[in-house]
Amino acid sequence: MNLIALRMLMRDRGKYIALIAGLAFATLLLAQQGSIFLGLLIRATGPLQNVAQPDLWITDPFTTYVLEYRPMSDRELQRVRAVPGIAWAEPFFSSRAPVELPDGSFKTAQIIGIPRSTLIGQPPVITQGRIEDLRAPDAVFVDESSRSRLANVQIGQTLKLNDRRAVVVGFCQVKLGFESNAVLYTTYDNAVRFTPVGRESIPFILAKANQGQNIEQLAARVTERTGLGAFTPDQMRGRTIGFILSETGIGINFGITVLLGFVVGLAVVTAIFYQFTLENLRYFAVLKAMGTRSKTLVRMVLLQAVVVGFIGFGIGIGAVGGFSLLGRKPGAELTPYFPWQLLVLAFFAILLCIFMGSLLSLRKVIRLEPAIVFK
Amino acid sequence: MPPTAANIPIRQGPHAQPDRTNGSAKLAVRLRGVTKTFGEGRTAVHALKDIALDVPEGELVMLVGPSGCGKTTLVSIISGVLDADTGQAEVFGIDWRQLRPDERAKRRQELVGFVFQQFNLIPTLTVVENVSVPLLIGGMKEKQAQERSAAALESVGLADRLSAFPNQLSGGMQQRVAIARAVVGTPRLIVCDEPTASLDAKRGQDVMEIIRGASNSSTSNTSDHRRCVIVVTHDSRIFHYADRIVEMDDGRLKDHVSKHILDEAQHVPKYEDDPAK
Repeated sequence: MNLIALRMLMRDRGKYIALIAGLAFATLLLAQQGSIFLGLLIRATGPLQNVAQPDLWITDPFTTYVLEYRPMSDRELQRVRAVPGIAWAEPFFSSRAPVELPDGSFKTAQIIGIPRSTLIGQPPVITQGRIEDLRAPDAVFVDESSRSRLANVQIGQTLKLNDRRAVVVGFCQVKLGFESNAVLYTTYDNAVRFTPVGRESIPFILAKANQGQNIEQLAARVTERTGLGAFTPDQMRGRTIGFILSETGIGINFGITVLLGFVVGLAVVTAIFYQFTLENLRYFAVLKAMGTRSKTLVRMVLLQAVVVGFIGFGIGIGAVGGFSLLGRKPGAELTPYFPWQLLVLAFFAILLCIFMGSLLSLRKVIRLEPAIVFK
Repeated sequence: MPPTAANIPIRQGPHAQPDRTNGSAKLAVRLRGVTKTFGEGRTAVHALKDIALDVPEGELVMLVGPSGCGKTTLVSIISGVLDADTGQAEVFGIDWRQLRPDERAKRRQELVGFVFQQFNLIPTLTVVENVSVPLLIGGMKEKQAQERSAAALESVGLADRLSAFPNQLSGGMQQRVAIARAVVGTPRLIVCDEPTASLDAKRGQDVMEIIRGASNSSTSNTSDHRRCVIVVTHDSRIFHYADRIVEMDDGRLKDHVSKHILDEAQHVPKYEDDPAK
């Protein structure tokens, strides 16, 4: 009977294709929007991912986002260094500044300042030049993907940063942040010059724990002794994601799109599948009259639903995979992130879609009176 | 001599015993006090009123009567697809109302074959797949079912159309497929609802010849059970195929069949062979 169910489904080409297309589209909306949403959240933590060395990010306790902070003074840096269990603590600068281009236009760049002596917080991948060259006067490293935004600057060329001279000494590859600004690395001292700040100029302090030190306990100790917030990299990423979700409309907007994907998928599947069942109701009645049990008919309907569900889901996920591949190009604006959990979630959403969609059909089939075959 | 359209005497009435069985046949259908009402209160329609009917094995009975007299309701109850409100409806000694739905479905699959006015072939299945359906419902393997279905289709003259879809066949051919589907599972009772209503006269005769043939055959090589066939019809051109005619009116079986029906049953129309059938 399973074969009969599949033939009834697959040989009704128009509805079969419409069902699969509806489910594929729903899957695409659900999974692709979901993956872009996750990609944006992950991307927002890009500046944090670029910094691999520290165990703790120490900052104002109310800081939630890498570009939105209340700067601290040098005194705070010394107090952190004095906390037992801290191996080292270094300032880390992150701020925006306008970069003047040769044609007179300008772009906003994110300026990362790292300590001249230790270079802690340096970019993860150097593609051209030596990181030590950053110690030269006015030196900056430019992120590869930002070059096009900065008129394809070359090593040795000079940029104007906030009306101050900056010399390109190398290129690096970094993860971009939530904003698509160009990223420049320089020393902490240069960064403070490029982006004038007040007396208190340290946005973040990166700290390393002594060997064997419990990080959570150390964070609590730092907070207790300095009144500052001390967060592990994971906690910092969590705060950043929380900022994006609560302070921007992105969460709601993507949530609405994902919900729309589900609703559209549900509506399409329910309408077409119900119509498909209605048109076949007479034949289901014939099967019932000829001795097919109700539970067999239910199995047939569910099999049809599951088959279109799987195929539609597969096509939809394939399309999402295509989008994801597009986003893998370095510097691509589209940054979908597709963890297996999203795949499972999308699968269950589509499964829910087809089961809810087939409920009406099942109800009809279960209540079907075989006597209608004589009408 | 096998019974033919011309040599079968027409008997009448609900309890008339057929000559062909020499009165020794077992009862295929036994109805007593069967009633059926649709709706309630002032809108209630009493479709069947105290129906009593015996149909022995091996008999081809035609149920005739005006539209709305309850013929279809009666065959629905006989074939176990509809419950009577009161009374007993037994087929081969089995009272449908005593069976649970699953058991009833199983018994229907074993005992009853259906031929419908609108054929009710599944349009997305080929001819041979359509005929295989009752066998697959019975649990037979696909390959074996298709072999048996092909043989059944050969017996109705459609051996060369196994892979066709129903919409590629004429009405007469579709009805022959439906008959093949009705007999392929060797049911002991075949219920036909207006089997010739959608067909022209010649094709109607062809279909009735096949149904007649099915009623004459045993249900299997090893069984001496003879098929019982009940045909609901308005079509006076096929009355002469009946072993017995039972007339209904206003939900009741009439004791005597109307004279004009008996007269029509004695008339055997002649048709030229249609090469395009």
